[in-house]
Amino acid sequence: MSGPNEDKNTQLSSHFFGDLLDSIIVDVASECHRIAKLGLDRNLEEEEEEMRLSVQARARVADPSNSSETNTKYVVDIFGQTHPSIATEIFECMNCGRSIAAGRFAPHLEKCMGKGRKARLK
Amino acid sequence: MKHSVNRPPTPDAAEDQGKEPTLQEIINVKLIESGEKERLMELLRERLIDCGWKDEMKALCRAHVKKKGRNNVTVDDLVHLITPKGRASVPDSVKAELLQRIRTFLMSAAL
Repeated sequence: MSGPNEDKNTQLSSHFFGDLLDSIIVDVASECHRIAKLGLDRNLEEEEEEMRLSVQARARVADPSNSSETNTKYVVDIFGQTHPSIATEIFECMNCGRSIAAGRFAPHLEKCMGKGRKARLK
Repeated sequence: MKHSVNRPPTPDAAEDQGKEPTLQEIINVKLIESGEKERLMELLRERLIDCGWKDEMKALCRAHVKKKGRNNVTVDDLVHLITPKGRASVPDSVKAELLQRIRTFLMSAAL
């Protein structure tokens, strides 16, 4: 079935299809715009927040007045926790069985294992 | 162009033109009055959601909003952003289905 009417029909159909599609495109754009403006996109919110915080953190790191961190006792990590400069967790030395503070473990192990004469027996 | 585009529309403008409504306009009215346009729109909307087209468009919008900042984006921006991709990425089967229905309507509304 071909002829001028058929072509006309095809042309008209395409036109109306385009019409419908354009309307739907505007609807989608409008919906996305609304979500953006009302801040309803949770992920976007979280990402924005992270961006803000990382910019802040970067500024703090770059700030020269922060370089005295090693001198102060009250350094704060990314979770907001402070740590004593010598780790205080206590555990058992696997060589001599003594209870040792984690921060003192390396020097202890040196003495405990390293120097034959003074090495402690298990 | 018969008339200057800058000429303000006057109440007599239509009569001055003496133009008959185009076939397109007549059909458009029939589509709307019969409710078929609405049905076709809903059908297309549903198909475009099912095939993920809408999600793709939303992702494009979201990326743009993230880049520009959500207070610097207008509806117009988004429309211009997704129109080319939107028109090009309609699945053939969806397009065919809709075109078929429209063609059917045109033939039934035979003038």
